[in-house]
Amino acid sequence: MPINLPVIQPGTQARKGPFARRPEDAAESLRERTLELAERGEWIVQRVPEPHLEVPTRSSGVKRVPLGHTWHHKSCGQCGHIPGYSTAIFWLHRKLGLEYEDPRDQTSCTAWNYYASATANQAAQAAVALRNFAAAHQSGYYPLIHCATSYGHYKEVRAEMVHHKALRDQVREILKKMGKPLVMPEEIVHYSEWIYAVRHEIAKRKVVDLSGITATVHPACHYYKLVQEDAIYDPDVYGGHRTAIVTGVAQALGVTVGDYSTWFDCCGFGFRHILVQRDFSRSFAVQQKIEAMRDEVNPDVTLTHDTGCVTTLDKSQFAAQAHTGVKAAIPVLSEAQFCALAMGAHPYRVCQLHWHAADYRPLLEKMGIDWRERWREFEDDVARLKANPGTYLTWDDAG
Amino acid sequence: MASDTLLIIGGGPAGLEAARGAADLGCKAVLVEQRAALGGTPISAHYAALTHGMRDAAEVMGEMVAAVANDSLVDVRLGTTVTGITGAAGDFAVTLRRDGAEERVSAGAIIVATGFDHFDPGRATQQYGYYMYDDVITLTDAEKMLKEGKFVRPSTGQPPERVCFIQCVGSRDRHIGNEYCSKVCCGIASKQAIEIRERLPQCRVFIFYIDMRMYGYWENDLYWPAQEKHKVNYIKGVISEVVLKGDRLIVRGEDTTMNRPMEVPMDIVILSNGMEPSAGTKAVARTLGLRQNKYGFIDVAHDTLDPVTTSVPGIFVAGAAAGPKDLDDTMGMAGAATMKAVATIRRHARMTSAR
Repeated sequence: MPINLPVIQPGTQARKGPFARRPEDAAESLRERTLELAERGEWIVQRVPEPHLEVPTRSSGVKRVPLGHTWHHKSCGQCGHIPGYSTAIFWLHRKLGLEYEDPRDQTSCTAWNYYASATANQAAQAAVALRNFAAAHQSGYYPLIHCATSYGHYKEVRAEMVHHKALRDQVREILKKMGKPLVMPEEIVHYSEWIYAVRHEIAKRKVVDLSGITATVHPACHYYKLVQEDAIYDPDVYGGHRTAIVTGVAQALGVTVGDYSTWFDCCGFGFRHILVQRDFSRSFAVQQKIEAMRDEVNPDVTLTHDTGCVTTLDKSQFAAQAHTGVKAAIPVLSEAQFCALAMGAHPYRVCQLHWHAADYRPLLEKMGIDWRERWREFEDDVARLKANPGTYLTWDDAG
Repeated sequence: MASDTLLIIGGGPAGLEAARGAADLGCKAVLVEQRAALGGTPISAHYAALTHGMRDAAEVMGEMVAAVANDSLVDVRLGTTVTGITGAAGDFAVTLRRDGAEERVSAGAIIVATGFDHFDPGRATQQYGYYMYDDVITLTDAEKMLKEGKFVRPSTGQPPERVCFIQCVGSRDRHIGNEYCSKVCCGIASKQAIEIRERLPQCRVFIFYIDMRMYGYWENDLYWPAQEKHKVNYIKGVISEVVLKGDRLIVRGEDTTMNRPMEVPMDIVILSNGMEPSAGTKAVARTLGLRQNKYGFIDVAHDTLDPVTTSVPGIFVAGAAAGPKDLDDTMGMAGAATMKAVATIRRHARMTSAR
């Protein structure tokens, strides 16, 4: 059972001096190895387009994040369970005036099944990833991965492909049958890295006062526990001890970030548990994460940056509500949705919060967003669509 | 022209023992130390008691320093570094730098005894929070406190009620690349656990470990007394993270014996940090052209059969410059290296006089 003591915020540095990882201790640079293989004619490297921003990584390295001209590798779970997640990412691009491609020539990454041991064919797994990379390259746009499970898996695939010539040869043959070249992006980039890179631009366009909002952050295991060197670590966030992803964005927006004792723990989704031990996932999400956040911080919202994390933390609260004695739930949003709300996005037309399980309305009230009026507008939209079968909401409707 | 002098680089236990041994054999030695004082890491890192025997580190090292400092055959050069080398076995010309001035000395053979650095947990997984929490300390930090005759929580200055050690921080860790066991940390942690229990009888002490590795006589000197006499709790389990809750550290991990996760409050967490080649070892290896192994330690001819001969004829190594060593290894290696180095000098002298 968790030990319920109030958590002290990390802040002041220990007296031992500044924390720093030495650059020479970084794992091998897969980016450099990728470029070397291109020089040897093994594959094509798709370079990060200009303009791009540089963000700091774990051992004082640098990662290049494209600002625009991106090919959006969407997430099955986002599109299926949290459609406002993907929509918010697109909406942010549009509001920042950044061009992007929303492709139809994209398959599922199949990583969820891979992590649940349901698929185990290395060449097939890699071929799926490389097929999508080839599709992005053929479109001329640079891949931006929406889902951290896809992102983590693609990073693992890149490491396998870099290290194993036999696998490269196998995948090259598979792609040849599809008429596609073997292409590896210079950097594997997650959408949350893009949000991190543009966080100050988002903050400049904020139309909502967030100074009274307290958030907890859940970082996605698939983001920073796989191929760790590739994740963003910023000396200005947690002193560089923990990945800065999401927290740095929340802080840039003026939100108070509350620390809690199970920050490092998985959301409950696991790498396979949600598929093979869902009851365990539900219990873990509620007891280890949500209740720890509630007891130690009592935040207005918890922010995260992955399909599985949003879904597990949010939907598992249904199970908790079935038990007596469960206190108020914590709304769970992706930081993309939260950023969009901060910039004035419609909570239903864009962020589609009606798909969320935990009650988000107190959060909107605290942010000064009139959810009743917004919901009425959305119901009008629905009535209009019902009266005109075959129609759907457009970006013009979204505003 | 053969030189009759042995150059020893490093004034810690291995270097001091080598210098003393060379003088005992009637061989002239130049002992170079970059610090301002002899004694090496046991002195510079404020060691309290040395295993085995728990004798005071300053006292033991003081005896070793005196044995060298008072010997006319040993020329001690403090505040001095090695910056260059020419020649070969029997007739090396080595450049020494001190206070910006350079000097060349001739040497028939060289012993490198440049030692190790304590692993910096800043390089390890961030979950242990060494740089985040004042009450997360290292073996070295704990040793310094014990040396000063106190053991308190750095954050409050109050005696702790619960202390734990986390073993294998920076050792046996494939992820960070230090795949070796550092050999001494289990013994040092057990020694410190005993010292803490003796100093603070009300304080509970835990040691979280993968395996406890206490070689030879350490078993009866430390391992059993720690448990049977001093009631130290050894728990087989890997610790995943340390977080702060209220005014206490929470240690999370798995109790592998009980096959369950655990969450234990502590006042002080001591990271049993292992060994890495010292900056001096790496610099000297580069300067002298010595082959290093994948971890940066100086490579030897054979780890078992010849642990002191380096890749350059006439240059030998002793102590932790060649890998993780305890004092038993270090003293033995210093003797072996001295024997081989003096033999090299005399062999070349005979060859020269025969010509």
